[in-house]
Amino acid sequence: MTTTLEHFTPVGAVPAGGGLHRRLNFFTALISGGLFAFIAWALSHHFLNSDGSGFSDQVTVLASIGWVLGFELGIGALTPIGRWIIGKDQVHDDELYLAGKNMGVRRHWKYCTDHKVVGVQYIVVTAILLGAGGILAMGIRTNLMTPGLHFVNQQVYNSFLSVHGMVMILALIVAVAGPWANFVVPIMVGARDMAFPRLNALSLWTLVAAIPLLLGSLAIGGLDMGWVTQAPISEQTGVGFDLFAMSIVTFTISTTVAGINTICTVMTMRTKGMNLERLPIFVWASVVAAALGLYAFPFFLVVMSLNLADRMVGTSFFVASQGGTGWLQENLFWLMGHPEVYVILIPAVGALMEITTVFARKPLFSYRTALGSMVSLAGLSALVWAHHMFTTGWAPSLGGPFMVTTEMISIPTGLMFLVILGTLWRGNIWMRLPMYWVFGFLFNFIIGGVTGIYLSDIPVDNQMHGTMFVVAHFHYVFVGSVLFGAIGALCFWYPKVTGRFLDERLGKLSFWLVFVGVQVTFLSMFVSGLRGMSRRYSSYEMIFEHTNLVSTMGAYTIMAGMLVLLGAVITSWTGGEPSGPNPWKSKTLEWLVPTPVPLENFEVLPVITSDPYTYGEAQ
Amino acid sequence: MTNQNDNKKHHRDIFIVWALLTVIGVLVGLYATPWLMPKSASHTMSMGILTMVIFTVAAAPVAALVYAVCLYALTIWRHRGEGVPADGPAIRGNGPATVLWLVGSTVLTLFLLIWGLGLLGSDQSAGAKASIEAANGGSAEITVDVTAQQWLWSFSYPGTHVKSLDLYLPVNKDVEFNVTSKDVVHGFWIVQMGIKVNANPGVITTTSVTPDKIGTYTIRCTEICGLDHAFMMTKVHVVSEADFQKWLASQPTRI
Repeated sequence: MTTTLEHFTPVGAVPAGGGLHRRLNFFTALISGGLFAFIAWALSHHFLNSDGSGFSDQVTVLASIGWVLGFELGIGALTPIGRWIIGKDQVHDDELYLAGKNMGVRRHWKYCTDHKVVGVQYIVVTAILLGAGGILAMGIRTNLMTPGLHFVNQQVYNSFLSVHGMVMILALIVAVAGPWANFVVPIMVGARDMAFPRLNALSLWTLVAAIPLLLGSLAIGGLDMGWVTQAPISEQTGVGFDLFAMSIVTFTISTTVAGINTICTVMTMRTKGMNLERLPIFVWASVVAAALGLYAFPFFLVVMSLNLADRMVGTSFFVASQGGTGWLQENLFWLMGHPEVYVILIPAVGALMEITTVFARKPLFSYRTALGSMVSLAGLSALVWAHHMFTTGWAPSLGGPFMVTTEMISIPTGLMFLVILGTLWRGNIWMRLPMYWVFGFLFNFIIGGVTGIYLSDIPVDNQMHGTMFVVAHFHYVFVGSVLFGAIGALCFWYPKVTGRFLDERLGKLSFWLVFVGVQVTFLSMFVSGLRGMSRRYSSYEMIFEHTNLVSTMGAYTIMAGMLVLLGAVITSWTGGEPSGPNPWKSKTLEWLVPTPVPLENFEVLPVITSDPYTYGEAQ
Repeated sequence: MTNQNDNKKHHRDIFIVWALLTVIGVLVGLYATPWLMPKSASHTMSMGILTMVIFTVAAAPVAALVYAVCLYALTIWRHRGEGVPADGPAIRGNGPATVLWLVGSTVLTLFLLIWGLGLLGSDQSAGAKASIEAANGGSAEITVDVTAQQWLWSFSYPGTHVKSLDLYLPVNKDVEFNVTSKDVVHGFWIVQMGIKVNANPGVITTTSVTPDKIGTYTIRCTEICGLDHAFMMTKVHVVSEADFQKWLASQPTRI
């Protein structure tokens, strides 16, 4: 049955304002970015490197700065400021044009300040990042299907490995917080938009500008440093690294802007009666993750900038022979790297808690425990970074203290399980598609969590660090738990975005493929690690043959599942079964506004008298 | 009233499923874990394997509880039929259950911590101990200087003329490794002995072990170090004291 949702077609005229914005979109941004990158390259090459004097790093960095600036100019990110400077500030009509009023699909290609459009744009960006990282993962697994480098050589393999790691980390950082902290959080708190709509668009388009740099580094290749960019190999590797590092610099700007925006929105834009204890738990998860990101990502910026400084201007922060130390690099990196895990995890768990209350038809079990577990996880995560460095030789006497803080993390993590299990307890479990991913998450996250406790124990870590066991552990966390949370959130909020259900049959098929694929891939990867296979191996001996073959088979199964999901998302977008505004009979505000959500969300701002978890209670 | 009875029945059924799953988990911990790991060639490694077993056994009841509640929710509490189910009971939390959960997870964590810290402090564990000893002039019976470079390991025995690309060690002697690198960071790992420390350029890191079984073992690199990272491995020969002295004497003098 095909139905059209007439109300998705815009009615009325596009606003007359907009000025220069009327001519700017993604394609002008690409052209302008390319042009500026070329100019920056040509100038810096001419003045620095035309005699081959070894300034390729400087030229590459300047060209990538040109790309980012040009891209922002071309998309129109700087136009409103420019107009303010020349005294022609935006008027109401201009802002309506920027918000994409009555513009239809076209507004998704533009610098659009409507938080719902930004949310959809984040879905697409996440899909592109996951796709790129997934293709690289398939390249890695195909190469490891048999021993002996039959698919790619070591150089290509190492580049795949490095870019796969970083692309996937970026993808997961934005996978839940990007689409849903933008699309649903403002509606959930009863706001008409984010606190800073233009900054919202800026964070999205800055992220978009970072992606070609990261994937471009792959095209240059020769990246030998892994995603952790350990010095000194990251100081010596090819110019691809300059693009790689510049993409991270750009990315940290994007997440900082987005994080500030989320926090400000929730703290200042709540509607009447929406006090802090009535916020849906996903809103809290977004705020905690955003705040943690504001702590963590500056380290990311610093470690990449110092690395670039070493490469470009002859400093020696990480060069042992000139008085620096690689341990500085590792400390800075993991000061970012561990909190970042919780920046990724907490929004996913928050979304799953939201889903659980709706589909168990029960209030959230112990709201304050849920909130407390998130806050204490965020706090503790800042104190555990050196557990990534137990075997590096740095400060062995700090091993004990870091072991203590790391194992303490299992207590708030356990409370998250309590909240979800308590919510399921004696509920009427409605097994629609989003709920599948909740159970998948619970199954996988136990495995990912427990194996993390093994690794926090130093005598075990002395054996397991740097092996496939670690790789399997964090893939259970990132793929088995966070990705499951992200897909669950997509299935849950999809009807709100599109007005249609995500195809239940294809969705369940993709769930089973991904779920089984994860077990097959990563359980056998645990075995590879236990038997003694180091990670980041491009080839291996015959004793690891069977487990690697099985892992590769599992990885293809995951890929098949993700392709089925992609197919379902695309076909259901226009052809799915219409869902109406509140198909799950949920009580959070985003389900109480019409679908599609009108510009500025509410005709009249609601007044809140209770939290949204009143299932089974007298109204 | 019915609610009370329902609750009791749920508790009993979930307890049975939990007990069954726990038994399975404990068996996996006791048998699968040591079977999958390399055969130990040092006390350090044996304690590492034992720790893996103990942690798996300790984790089994936790995982079993989560899986038991999930299974129960998926079968008994599942809503059958079309449409939105009726609301469940309005349980907004349960103080005793939360406290019990918190106490339980804290006790488990404390147990793991005490076990781990105890092992870390015991004389056989690598890393911290070795570094402290090195600072005190070292107490090892044999010292080996380990030099990593892209992409091979070389070993020299201070006080002798010997340099080698294979590592020879006498059995049951306390060995201290002073590890460094000529270029980038490498990871020095003796797979069957459970010790690992990075080889950093410009720095000497230490670790120590007492091999307790004669045999041939593997050294691998565990930090990505460039093109041939996967091929940067060599052999460890643990031999008797007499064979070790014989091997030392048979090595050619190099300039």
